[in-house]
Amino acid sequence: MSHLFSQSAWLLPCYALLGAILALPWSPGFIRKTGPRPAGYINAIMTFTAFGHSLLALVETWNQPPQALSFAWLNAPGLNISLDLEISTVALGACVLITGLNLLAQIYAIAYLEMDWGWARFYSLVGLFEAGMCLLVLCNSLFFSYVVLEILTLGTYLIVGIWYNQSLVVTGARDAFLTKRVGDLILLMAVVALLPLSGTWNFTELTAWAKTADLDPTLATLLALALVSGPIAKCAQFPFHLWLDEAMEGPYPATILRNTIIVSTGAWVLIKVQPILALSPLGSSVVVAVGAATAVGASLISIAQIDVKRVLSYLTSAYMGLVFVAVGIGENHAALVLLLTYAIAMALMVMSTGGIVLNNITQNLTQYGGLWSRRPLSGISLIIAGLSLIAMPPLGGFWSLVEISDALWQSRPLLFGVVLAVNGFVAFSVTRLFGLMFGGKLTDFTRRSPEGLWLLVLPMMLLAGFALHLPLLLAQWQLLPDWASLNRFVAVLMTWSSLAGIGFGALVYLNPNWEKPVRLNPQALQDFFAYDFYTPQLYKATVVFAVDRISKLIYWVDRYIVDGTVNLVGFATLFGGESLKYNTTGQSQFYILSIVLSVAVFVILASFPYLSQFATIGF
Amino acid sequence: MQLQYYLLLAAALFCIGIYGLITSRNAIRVLMSIELLLNAVNLNLMAFSNYLDEAAKGQVFSVFVITIAAAEAAVGLAIVLAIYRNRDTIDMERFNLLKW
Repeated sequence: MSHLFSQSAWLLPCYALLGAILALPWSPGFIRKTGPRPAGYINAIMTFTAFGHSLLALVETWNQPPQALSFAWLNAPGLNISLDLEISTVALGACVLITGLNLLAQIYAIAYLEMDWGWARFYSLVGLFEAGMCLLVLCNSLFFSYVVLEILTLGTYLIVGIWYNQSLVVTGARDAFLTKRVGDLILLMAVVALLPLSGTWNFTELTAWAKTADLDPTLATLLALALVSGPIAKCAQFPFHLWLDEAMEGPYPATILRNTIIVSTGAWVLIKVQPILALSPLGSSVVVAVGAATAVGASLISIAQIDVKRVLSYLTSAYMGLVFVAVGIGENHAALVLLLTYAIAMALMVMSTGGIVLNNITQNLTQYGGLWSRRPLSGISLIIAGLSLIAMPPLGGFWSLVEISDALWQSRPLLFGVVLAVNGFVAFSVTRLFGLMFGGKLTDFTRRSPEGLWLLVLPMMLLAGFALHLPLLLAQWQLLPDWASLNRFVAVLMTWSSLAGIGFGALVYLNPNWEKPVRLNPQALQDFFAYDFYTPQLYKATVVFAVDRISKLIYWVDRYIVDGTVNLVGFATLFGGESLKYNTTGQSQFYILSIVLSVAVFVILASFPYLSQFATIGF
Repeated sequence: MQLQYYLLLAAALFCIGIYGLITSRNAIRVLMSIELLLNAVNLNLMAFSNYLDEAAKGQVFSVFVITIAAAEAAVGLAIVLAIYRNRDTIDMERFNLLKW
């Protein structure tokens, strides 16, 4: 069997990068006459090429051992950095997912950005993301994973800040960049610290090293914590989760990507470094604790949001939290499957709500209602997405969630309870989203709401179809847990938690008799969740406050003490000159006095050793 | 120890001359103080020549000093005269134009 496509898998990031570069000439400053649309078409074509290529390569590598490619990047004495690629089935599958979702998002964006001039910037950034993510999943080197993560952090900054004339966009992009950057920087510490310990950055070799490594427990813990901090920020986990909320100021098609696969880049790295995390029990516990806390907290916050996109962004944090839990207990396979099912469900959810936001103007859930009869396709898509997200057999999310809960069931019943509760909360949140948008009465905003244009609906329906087929595909690929060994009790519990969430959500939000907007008693609790645990205030009161004060202090020290010291020397010289010049009195007799005095002093000093002799001799 | 007495006398004369040189407000008196200084020097030269030197070179020095001092006094008086013509005064405290 030929390996033409899998051998050339390194081309996958290049297609998207080429598309990103080719889109730039259609910036409004260069090609002024044609309008910006060709930028989008070129990128869609390039992404389609990459999608086809990765699909063919995936078929080729099916049931084949992974192939390794290596490009030397830098050879310095004592340090050889090479770009190692691993062409494995999982990596190519991830490439198919990335390019596929990108293709759909780009087609979606052709419709969504109809009234926008900034296609060149948008599409080249989306292309950059696609290239970065393909490279990330293909590359088998921690160092280059870090490089790509950093480039994507910059990409996030630019794509969130695409409509930079809006002030909230500017602050959102700022927070997204800084928060992710902090995580990346701590990750860099781990990356740098890892080389002397293991001698390699290659994931395969790192895994082999971790099996026999005998590290000092403190060192292993610190290493694990630093390795985790990158993904914590990337995946919008507590306490680095505010950026994702604020990143919802960016354009909707970019949100499709961000909520599904960009945040998954952190999880991907986390899964890759899991063998190193496993060296430290405390590190793994931290991963689980962060994941569990985020899953519970973010799913509760999402219930209290009134902004469509922010509901979705907290669900994203919650699901990434579940991935963290899975990785923390060593269930890498379940984590990967969860990423796959989650990405498809969340992309579908973002697409269906995006189409509604596009022609109902508002994102405020309290202003929605009664869309079911007018927007059946969006409604059905949202239902499919919601059901695939939570543990509802037979759709995708069920299998991965059950696999994780099954692993937790025996060893850590408390965590199992957490997953169960999160599943219920998510089910409630999604039902609430559906109920507020599609149920109830028409409002002024939704009174005239046509279904979107075909370019908006096509990717949504394709994805809905794929979400429906996903269980079949998973069964085909033997990714499902074995039915015989499946813990039926856990599966039934998970299903019941979903049903409870849906049922309670339907009771509250699809029931016209329940008064809306729903008021929680006490109100402070509702506000606590609605305002995201007051995280902005928390940041302001702690890190931002400290850094701000310290930088002001340092500025003051620099301005007045350091500068002042140097200036003081200058001032002293000036003052010395200014004051000493009065020695030149203009009185020649004073000059003579100076001469006489200085000669006298000199003579006394010169003859000082002999004065004692004079004293003894006497006259 | 005769020499030391001469030397002390010369030093005293020198100090008196210095005192006059620095404190006098009258320019002529400054020139007179300079003469005192030169005479103190001459005393030194003569004393050393008398007590220490067979060839009496100090006396020759003194002759030179006296002649040069005469010339210097002449030039000094000429300068004082020139200043007096311009400024109508020989008060040393009014000649402080060249200050800072």
